[in-house]
Amino acid sequence: MFFDFIKRNSRKIRKENGVYFGALIISIIAFYIILSLGEQDVMAYLKTVESNAVNRLLLMIPMLYAVSLFFVFFLVYFANNYQVKLRSHEFGLYLMMGMKRSRLFLMIMGETLWNGAIALMIGIPIGVFLTELISLITSRLIGIGIIGYQYSISWAGLGLTVVGFIVVQLIAMSFISLKLTRKEPVDLLDDQKEESQRVLNPIWSIVSLMTGAVLLLGTIFLCTAYGLAILYLRNLDYRMFALIIIVGIVGTFMLFRGLGSLIGAWIKRKGKSSAGLFIFTGRQLQENVLNQWASLAISSLLIVMSMVCFVYGISTALNNDLTSSKTADFTFSGSEKEIISVLTSDELEPYVKEYYEMKLGYLWRFDPEENEWLDTFSWSGLSESVSKEVYSKEKENLLSELTTDNRPYLISLSSYNDMLRSVNKPPIELGSDEVAMYSDEEFTYSHDILREALQSKPYVNIVGNQYSLSSTLYTLNVVADRAITLSYALIVPDDLYDTFDDREDSYLLNMVLDDALIEEKGLMQAMYEVDGLLNASGLDYESYLSSMGRKLFFTVAGSYTTIYLGIMFLIIANTVMGLKFLMQQKSTRHRYFTVAMLGASVESLCMSARVQIWLYFGLVILVALISSIFGIWSMVDTFPNSISLNNGIGTVVISLAVFIIIEICYILMIQRKSDEEIKKLKQAR
Amino acid sequence: MNISNKLLQVKGVHKTYGEGQSETSALKGVTFDVLPGEFLGIMGVSGSGKTTLLNCIATMLKPTSGEILLEGQSISSFKGSQLAKYRGSRIGYLFQEFELLDNLIARENIVLPLSIHKENSKNQELQLQNLAKQFDIEDVLEKFPYQMSGGQKQRVAAARALISNPSIVLADEPTGALDTKNAKVLMEKLSFVNQRNETTILMVTHDANAASYCSRILFIQDGVIFHELRKKVPGETQNAFYERILTVLAQLGGGSRHVL
Repeated sequence: MFFDFIKRNSRKIRKENGVYFGALIISIIAFYIILSLGEQDVMAYLKTVESNAVNRLLLMIPMLYAVSLFFVFFLVYFANNYQVKLRSHEFGLYLMMGMKRSRLFLMIMGETLWNGAIALMIGIPIGVFLTELISLITSRLIGIGIIGYQYSISWAGLGLTVVGFIVVQLIAMSFISLKLTRKEPVDLLDDQKEESQRVLNPIWSIVSLMTGAVLLLGTIFLCTAYGLAILYLRNLDYRMFALIIIVGIVGTFMLFRGLGSLIGAWIKRKGKSSAGLFIFTGRQLQENVLNQWASLAISSLLIVMSMVCFVYGISTALNNDLTSSKTADFTFSGSEKEIISVLTSDELEPYVKEYYEMKLGYLWRFDPEENEWLDTFSWSGLSESVSKEVYSKEKENLLSELTTDNRPYLISLSSYNDMLRSVNKPPIELGSDEVAMYSDEEFTYSHDILREALQSKPYVNIVGNQYSLSSTLYTLNVVADRAITLSYALIVPDDLYDTFDDREDSYLLNMVLDDALIEEKGLMQAMYEVDGLLNASGLDYESYLSSMGRKLFFTVAGSYTTIYLGIMFLIIANTVMGLKFLMQQKSTRHRYFTVAMLGASVESLCMSARVQIWLYFGLVILVALISSIFGIWSMVDTFPNSISLNNGIGTVVISLAVFIIIEICYILMIQRKSDEEIKKLKQAR
Repeated sequence: MNISNKLLQVKGVHKTYGEGQSETSALKGVTFDVLPGEFLGIMGVSGSGKTTLLNCIATMLKPTSGEILLEGQSISSFKGSQLAKYRGSRIGYLFQEFELLDNLIARENIVLPLSIHKENSKNQELQLQNLAKQFDIEDVLEKFPYQMSGGQKQRVAAARALISNPSIVLADEPTGALDTKNAKVLMEKLSFVNQRNETTILMVTHDANAASYCSRILFIQDGVIFHELRKKVPGETQNAFYERILTVLAQLGGGSRHVL
């Protein structure tokens, strides 16, 4: 009987507070997804190649979890505090009818638990489904066969989600209900009145001049923060960083604190000539901003954080080309004899398709008489050709790299051709006195300019001789190990190469696995098996898979965690804003009733509320967007490598699109809620 | 009497709440007319149906049967936008709890009905000043309701009810939340507006003192009109009328103690 009562009350709460309930479900889904990260297929695979880094990331997840729990606690406390206040009359009646305080406490906790259980029952299946979907998509993106897909539920993630969520709710609710059950019944019965009187007595009687000054000061602070961010953030000085953050936060708070009086002045100026519900709409908005400036500022800052997280996360996910060309599967270094003897052994032979030496070395010449390195090389011809291109940041970077680089790597032509043959590409043919330029796939940002510059076949100077550069730029990886990247190198004929390379210890050998074997077992399985055999041999080697895994890990870890944080911040910010708005609307419903009695139709009231919602969200979003522009700008400036400008714009557009879609969904949802509330007003009479 | 002479006609209005066994009748066939320029009072004990009647006339409730005509038009059958047109422009309201919007200053509160009906005219400012003068609220026009006294609030509310020159003002216990002095001021102002501008007022009240400003009073009991009093014009003093009201109240359901 008591339980039925709890169930009935819980249903009512869910119905009346749908936005909050929805936010709870979304946070459960997010919890599960982040907590099950360790058991996702891609992570399970990464653990085998990069166990140290993965373990460090997995250590970080509990911290993310704790931060999210804190935010959820804030949300639960804030939403329920209000919910309970609205029901205090009801609670007062229960007490007057003889309900014991302990029973009232139990009742409130019971309702919380029941609603929590329902939220979990809805959220967890969705979380499991989404996790599997993400797992499947990452496997697909990385390439079928590299990572096997397997259905799995993370029991630890599930447990932590359930426990964390329930515990946070219980703690937040026990704070609220303890405070409540200590009150006398008469206070509870009267509580609503008290609340409405508090609303009647807003703080805005404080001199508006002062708030105007605050507004101005806030704007100045924010602009200072923006300016500092653009000018100095790239220096990565933590003191400057702290200063920017503090000035920015203080500026945002002051801006919202002063905004209310600006709206008031605007209404007064416009109000006399206005028709319809303009004044009503404007004053409602003003009251919202005046009473809730702190929440608005927090929401705005949270949105800035989430925007920055989104841009970083999405650009990490998109910009790193994971499926870049695979040339060799393994690269060995060490003594030629040893390596070949292992590769031709009975055990390994069936796996090996072919192997070839990769001759790779510095262009250097040491003068033993003078005991110094000789200046043997310059890119001057190429630099000249590049400097004719139109101005761009990439060009400036390239030029400075070329002038400081006087000892590039050399690649022997025959090795490179061996490699090309193994991936079924036509070999390079160099004319006399011709060399070719090589630049690793990693350095795409300069490739367009280089290709242009190479069209004029510029000269380079090697030990006093001029060689012309071939008009093609070569970028296919020379070794399996992706940790070795060559920014700019030369592919030179073997006789020229041999005049420089006189060292024995730099022997490199590439090996390619048998196609039929990969076809049969999948690349991952095949590599595992070979890996096991090679491990026993004690050879020094790198595989394509482990070097790619390292990259993959940084991508997954970087994008996963930042997108997760971005979503959490955005949800909390929007839910707080939405709830604040709906609360104000509920506590001022008598005003809507009065305006209806004075002749406003329900449609025009709904319209007024919709305009209020758009402006209310719009103000916060506008400030957040402006701050985000500067935030992202300085981030792009600070980490140009992870967010290159070429893709940066696409990333920003995608992040913005995601953000706008989420915001519009939220606004529409709040509007629907507000319409319902206003229509209820009509039915009540 | 010609129909056009009757401002408001209430014809056989019934109102029942609930269904089946729980059905209760609040109004059991109420019929009366209001003439232009009248100051009509409606009195009755709690549960007599007087608030239901006012709510029906105010278009807040639909009668179960019967008709209510304002200037010959049946307002009880109006819906949606037709209703909205009448509210605030043809009918002015005065509530017991003032119902001012507490986030609007007095001036904005008063002209709100005009803005809603998009009737902002050049005369608006003049009209506003006139009303402010009549109700002695010129000092508070730029103030928010929480900066005013109860009496000032109700006078601002009265100015709001009158700004659109409505055909009739409906007042629901307008003195209910005021002290004696402020109640007296308000009733004097309303009475003045009624006499000078011939504004028709229909007022529901418990308060015999307030009712003594009316020109006619209907007493309602158990959903029917039970008695009617008219102030004798000219000649009868307000005090004499007051005494007569008290006498009727004493007869109503065993005395006035029920209503206080």
